[in-house]
Amino acid sequence: MLQSFPLATVRNGLIDITASVQEAVARSGISDGLLLVSVPHSTASITVVSPWDVLGLEDVHDEIVRLIPTRIDFKHQYDTPQDAAGHVKAAIVGHARSFFIDNGRVGLGHSQKIYFWEFDGPRKRTVEVKVVGA
Amino acid sequence: MSQYADFVAQIDSLPELVRTESRQIDDRMRLLLTTPEIYGIRQVILTGSGDSYFAAQAVAPAIRAWTGLPVSAMLAMEASRYLGAGVQPPSVLVVAISSSGEAARVIEATRRLRAAGALTIGVTANAESRLGLSAERVLGIAIPGAAPAPGTRSYVAALLAGYALGIRLAEVRMTMTMDEANALRAEIAGLAAALAEASRVSAEPLATLAAAWQEFRTVDVLGSGPALASAGYGAAKLVEAAGLHATAEDAEEFHHLNYFVSAPETIPTIVLAAPQSLAASRVRELLTALEGLGRPTVLLTGPDAPPGYGTWLELPAVREWFSPLLHTVPTAHLAAAWSHLLSATHYRGHAGPWHQAQGAGLVRGSAIEV
Repeated sequence: MLQSFPLATVRNGLIDITASVQEAVARSGISDGLLLVSVPHSTASITVVSPWDVLGLEDVHDEIVRLIPTRIDFKHQYDTPQDAAGHVKAAIVGHARSFFIDNGRVGLGHSQKIYFWEFDGPRKRTVEVKVVGA
Repeated sequence: MSQYADFVAQIDSLPELVRTESRQIDDRMRLLLTTPEIYGIRQVILTGSGDSYFAAQAVAPAIRAWTGLPVSAMLAMEASRYLGAGVQPPSVLVVAISSSGEAARVIEATRRLRAAGALTIGVTANAESRLGLSAERVLGIAIPGAAPAPGTRSYVAALLAGYALGIRLAEVRMTMTMDEANALRAEIAGLAAALAEASRVSAEPLATLAAAWQEFRTVDVLGSGPALASAGYGAAKLVEAAGLHATAEDAEEFHHLNYFVSAPETIPTIVLAAPQSLAASRVRELLTALEGLGRPTVLLTGPDAPPGYGTWLELPAVREWFSPLLHTVPTAHLAAAWSHLLSATHYRGHAGPWHQAQGAGLVRGSAIEV
């Protein structure tokens, strides 16, 4: 069963969705298998980052902004400059991440949380979760 | 059909026009300007004559609010003959509106301002018109044809173009998010229902009012902000359809000017203001002034308006920026009914003393000076 939950972003950057993903895993009733966390968007991504220092989260976002800044000379001009830059960022980072589930536990280490990464906020977003039993 | 039936048919067609054309105009607007061009804009001037000027005036406050840019509506004569020295190329976006694309002064303004370095957009139903060929870009507002009547559909199309422009500028300049922009686009298309409801609640009461006022020949139409443009449009329809001497005036300026016109009991006064309008408090004072004068008055307002003087018509609630779209319906209904009661020929048939207006010759044939 595909599960999804809405997310209303208020800014660009990283949003911790680990708890919501873990709840979806628990609802699935599957204790061993594979988990896919995905976004049906082209200007947002899923990634894994350490949560312990919020400034570290800012570093991660600042760095991708430095690499792919919002500019007005993108060829894609159908939407907005931020949207155009967001497409590039999302293409590089990727729209999904997979994890194993072992004995009901999502395969994350002590310094890993799952983050929704907004590149074109604020937007109304959706996160999709698929759990497949082993 | 009779000219009255033609006019009413045009009014009745407006909701469908909004529903179908708003998205199409949006799509055309999306590809009209490049992102660097949009970021180069430091000032927006919307210009036109007649209904096209009212359309410019109607959308200017919304574009200003959405973009944070200096945005002004300017009469074509002012834009063409009295502006040139102030234009600082290439930072000015000039949006020249003429449905036919053949209004001489609008063409002249476009050519002069383009020569001065402004980026020019012609908003017209005819890309091959002189305006279309004079402007660097054309935002097409061609709409399905309808029976002849004083312009209502072309005015609505120009309004839709103005809103589409403002939303697009704001979205790309990121003074509005894409979600907000798309919500506004959906809201505009959804106004079709409000226009239909406005027609349902206003046609009969305004016909009754026109019957009561049919002996009068002078009318004031009052409003502020976007509603001042509606007042201009409403007065224009009374002139064009019924041949009345109708004047539009700002709700503030009225207290300085037409308040003092003699025989106030013979001057019907139409006031346009929603209760949530930014000018609402002044409109309440205006109604007290009109009561003191004993002017026959109708207030075209919205839900939850506080009680006041005159006949009240409650129109559906819409965002103030979009009120000019809504106001097209009751103001046109009043003009259609009044004209019908007087058996007036629209535009006096362009005959007799008015024969020079045949083929819009007076506005199209004026000498263009560039």
